[in-house]
Amino acid sequence: MFNQIFESVWGQANSLFYPFRRRRYLDLVVVLAGLALLYGLIQLGRQWTGVHRPVVEINLSPWSLPKYTFFSMMRGLAAYAISLAFTLVYAFWAAKDSRAERLLIPLLDILQSIPVLGFMPGLVLALVALFPHSNLGLELAAVIMIFTGQAWNMTFSLYHSFKSVPMELQEAGTVYGFNWWERLKWIELPFGTTGLVWNSMMSMAGGWFFLMITEAFKLGDQDFRLPGLGSYMSVAVEKGNVPAMLYAILAMVIMIVFLDQVIWRPVVVWAQRFRIEDTSQGDAPRSWLLRLLRRSRLIRWMEARRVHRLHVHGPRIPRKKKPVAQAKQIQALQRWIANLALAALMALVLWAAVKLFIYLTAIPGQTWLYLTKAGGLTLSRVLISTALGTLWAVPAGLAIGLSPRLSRIFQPVVQVAASFPAPMLFPIVIAALAHFGVGLNYGCILLMLLGTQWYILFNVIAGAMAIPGDLREAATSFRLSRWQKFKALYLPASFPYLVTGWVTAAGGAWNASIVAEYYDLGTTTLSTFGLGATVSKAAYDRNLTLLAAGVLLMSAIVVIFNRLVWKPCYNLAYTRYSLDK
Amino acid sequence: MDVSTATPETAILELKGVQKSFDRGTGKLLRVLEDINLDIRPNEVLCLIGPSGCGKSTIMRIFAGLIEPTKGQVTYRGQRQEGLNENIAIVFQGFALYPWMTVESNVENVLRAKGLDPAEIKERTNHAIQMVGLEGFEEAYPRELSGGMKQRVGMARALSVNPEILFMDEPFSQVDALTAEGLRAEILDIWDDRERNPSSILMVSHDIKEVAFMADRIVVLSANPGRIRTIVENTLPRPRDTRSPEFLRLVDQLHDIITSTELPDIQVSTVTSSVESDIVEPLPSAQYADMLGLLELLDSHGGTCDLFQVVAQTHVPFEKVLTTVKGLEMLELVETPKRSVELTPLGREFVQSGMDERKVIWQKQLLELKLFRVVKELLELREGELSREELIQEIAGRLPMEDPEFTFETIVAWGRFGELFAYHKHRGVLTFE
Repeated sequence: MFNQIFESVWGQANSLFYPFRRRRYLDLVVVLAGLALLYGLIQLGRQWTGVHRPVVEINLSPWSLPKYTFFSMMRGLAAYAISLAFTLVYAFWAAKDSRAERLLIPLLDILQSIPVLGFMPGLVLALVALFPHSNLGLELAAVIMIFTGQAWNMTFSLYHSFKSVPMELQEAGTVYGFNWWERLKWIELPFGTTGLVWNSMMSMAGGWFFLMITEAFKLGDQDFRLPGLGSYMSVAVEKGNVPAMLYAILAMVIMIVFLDQVIWRPVVVWAQRFRIEDTSQGDAPRSWLLRLLRRSRLIRWMEARRVHRLHVHGPRIPRKKKPVAQAKQIQALQRWIANLALAALMALVLWAAVKLFIYLTAIPGQTWLYLTKAGGLTLSRVLISTALGTLWAVPAGLAIGLSPRLSRIFQPVVQVAASFPAPMLFPIVIAALAHFGVGLNYGCILLMLLGTQWYILFNVIAGAMAIPGDLREAATSFRLSRWQKFKALYLPASFPYLVTGWVTAAGGAWNASIVAEYYDLGTTTLSTFGLGATVSKAAYDRNLTLLAAGVLLMSAIVVIFNRLVWKPCYNLAYTRYSLDK
Repeated sequence: MDVSTATPETAILELKGVQKSFDRGTGKLLRVLEDINLDIRPNEVLCLIGPSGCGKSTIMRIFAGLIEPTKGQVTYRGQRQEGLNENIAIVFQGFALYPWMTVESNVENVLRAKGLDPAEIKERTNHAIQMVGLEGFEEAYPRELSGGMKQRVGMARALSVNPEILFMDEPFSQVDALTAEGLRAEILDIWDDRERNPSSILMVSHDIKEVAFMADRIVVLSANPGRIRTIVENTLPRPRDTRSPEFLRLVDQLHDIITSTELPDIQVSTVTSSVESDIVEPLPSAQYADMLGLLELLDSHGGTCDLFQVVAQTHVPFEKVLTTVKGLEMLELVETPKRSVELTPLGREFVQSGMDERKVIWQKQLLELKLFRVVKELLELREGELSREELIQEIAGRLPMEDPEFTFETIVAWGRFGELFAYHKHRGVLTFE
C-alpha cells in the first residue's frame, strides 16, 4: 500500500524530470543561445552605426563586461570571416594561375613577415576620415588590423594543401570528369581542411593581440578607443582600478576558453573526417558540445529537413555536356578574368611601391643612420627575448611533452596562455618594473618575452610529444644519462618544432616592440631608444614620412633575417633533424 | 609482332608511333617511351608487363588521354582523340578514394559529375555496389576498410560509369595475395558478360602469373626507353586453371622472354679492352645489400640457382631480382647462362672471404667499370671534392636515357660500400674515402 503511494508520487515527480532526462532542455538551450546571439548582434549593430564620440565611454562595472567581451569577440570573429574569405580566394588563385603564383607567393611571404602594427596609425586615420560621423571607420580599422594578424598563415596552409593533393586523387577527378567546382568541393577543400582548421585556431589566438591594441588605441590627444575588453582594461589602468583590471583579465580567459569549447573543439572533431592518413588514430579528439548538439531534437529536425530537401526536391538539374565551342569560350573568358586580376594586382603593388619611394626620398641620410642604429638595438632585444624564452621553454616543454601526466595537466593551460594577449598585462608589468627601478630599456625585453615565450613552449611540447617511443626506449636501454639523452635525442628530435617556435616568437616580438618600447600610461609616456619606439613616436607626432621609413626598415630587417637565419634553420631542420623519413 | 595485323576498324583505341619524353627539370629531356604502336580491341583483356621504368603506366595514361604524347597520335574508333577519353574508367594502384566520403558517396559523386538525374544515380550506385559485393558497407568510410575492400570500392566506382574500356593500373599490388586472387576472378566474371560494358580491359601489371591468368594478349615491354619487346597471344581457354601444364608452360615462356630482354646472353663485355671505348654502361639501381644477399643464397645452393627459384624462395618481386642479378653480372660476380644464375670464381672468392677482403674485391671490380673510372678521374681533377650537381650533369651527358639522379644514388651507394668515395649530403659533395 505504502509502496504503491510512494510509487505513484515518485512516478509523478519523476515525470517532471522527463524532459530533462530525455534532454529536451537541450532544445531550450539552443533556442536561448540563439536569442542571446540575436540580442548581442542588435547591440553590436547599434555600436557600429552609432555616432562617433570624441572620448570612449567605458563603464567599469563588472556587469557591463559581458557586453564588452561580446563586442571584442565579434570583432575577432568578423576578422576571422574576412580572413577565411581572403584565404579561399588568394590560395585558389595562387594555386591555379601559375603566372600569378610567381607574384602572389613572394608577396604573401613579405606580408606575413612585416610587423603590421606599424601600419595601424595610418589605417585608423584613413578609415576614420572616410566615415567621420559614425563608429564604422574605427570598427573597420580594428577588424582589418586583426585580419592582418590572422590571414597569412591560413592562406599559406591552404595554398600548400592545394598544391600537394596526391596525384592519383587528382587523376581520378579528371578521369571521372569533375569540373572545377566539383574538384574544389570534393577534392581540394576537404584535403586542405585539416591544415586550415589548425591554422585558424592559431590565427584566432594571434588576433587577440592586435584586438587589444587597436581597441585601446590613442593617437596623441585623440581618443580612438572602441568599447571592448582592450579599452576596458586601458580605462581601468588609467583610473588605477585594480579589481576592474582583474575582471578584464578573467573575462578574456573566459572568452578564450568559451571560443575553444564552443567553436574550435566541435570544428576539430568535425574535421576528423578529412584526415588523409588511413589508420584510425588511438584517441580521437572529442567535443561535449557537438555530442550534446547532436542529441538536440531541434538540430536533428533541421538536419532532417535539409537532407529531405536535398533528396526530394534535389537541386539536381541534369547537366548536359557543354559543346566544345562553348567550353572554349568559357575558357577564354576565364583567361581574361585571370589576366585582368593579375594586372590589377600588379598595378596595386606598383602604385604602393612608387608611393613609398616618393615618401622615402624625402628622408635625409642622417635619419636613415639613426633608424638603422635603432633597428640594431631592437633586433638585439628581439633576439635576447627569444633566447630567454628558449632557455626556460625548452626544458619546460620537454618535461611537459615527455610526460603524459604533465601534458594532460599543462596542455590546456599553455593553450590558453598562448592565446592570451600579452598587451593586456603590459600596464601591470610596467608598474612592477617601475617599482623595482628597472627602466624600459631592459624592461621591454620582458614585455616582448611575455607575449612570445608561449609560442616556443607550445611548439617544444608538440615536438617532445612527437618523439617516437622506440627512440626513447633505445636511449633508455643504452643507459644514456639525462644530459646525453637531451643532447642526442630530445633536442635534435624537437628541433624542427623549435625552429617554428622561434620564427613565430621573433615575429611576435617585432610586433610587440612597437608597443613595448613606447608605452602610454595615460598620464606619462615611457619610452626607450629603439625602432619600435621610433615608429610609435612618429605615429604619435603624425610624422608619416618617418613612420613609413621606420616600418619599411623594420620589414626589411625581418625579411632579411628570415632569409639569412630562419630559412637555413628550417632547411637544417627538415633535412637533418626530420623524423619523417 | 602482330601489331600491324590490327586494322583500324577492329580497334577501339589505338596508339600510332607514340613517343613520350619528360622534362626532368634540368633542361634535359628523359625519353620514357619510344615508337609505341598498340591497339585495344573489343572484347579483350590486354595486359602490359615489364620492368620498372618501362613506361607501362605512362602508356595507360596516354591511352586514357591524361597525358599527351610527345610524338605520334591516339585514335578512338578511327578518330583522332583529343583530351580525355570519356568512355573509360580507371582503377588506381593506390585506390584514389576520397577518404572524407563514404563508400556510397565515393561512387555517387562520380555519377553526379556526369550530370545524371538523382534516380539514375541511386540505381547505378546500388547496382555497382552490389556487383562488387559491397552491400552493407555503403555508409563506411574508406579508412575503415582493408586494402581488398578499398579496391572493391575503386572497382565499383569505375564500373558505375559504365566504361567501354576498364583501365587498371597495377590494381592488386597493394592487396594481399589471397584477396587479389578472388578479385581477379570477379573482374573476369564481370567482363565476361558480353551484353554489358566493359567491353575490354587494359591492365598494367608486374606479376607474370596474374598476366597469364587474365590476359588475351600480353604486351612485354623493355625499359630505357620503354619499347614494345613482343606481344604474346594467350589462347588458353577460360576459366584458366593456374596449375594446368599449359598455364605453367605459358608462365615459363613469359619468364624466358622477360629474362632474355633484361639479361641478354650476348654479353656487352665489361672486360677492359686495350683501347678504351667511350661507352659508359648504365647502372642498374641495385642495392648492395640485396646483391650480397643473393650471393649468399647462391653460395648456399652450391653456386648456382634457377632465376625463378630465387624469386620463389625469397618472395622478392621478379624485377627486383633481375636488377640485382644485373648488378652482380656487371661486377663479374655472377654469370647468367640461360635462366640460371651462377657464381663466377671471383664471386665464390668474394662470398667466402671476410668483410675486408670483400671490400678490396668490390673496389677493384668497380674500377673495372668505365663509369666509376670517369667519376674517379673527375674527382682527381677537382682535387678531391666533386659537387653533386656537376656529377649529375656528367651522368646526364653520358647516359642520356637514364635518370641521372638514380644513377647518382647508385654510384654513391656502391662507391661507399667499396670505400672508394664518401658522400657528404649536407654539403652535397663527393670526396675520396
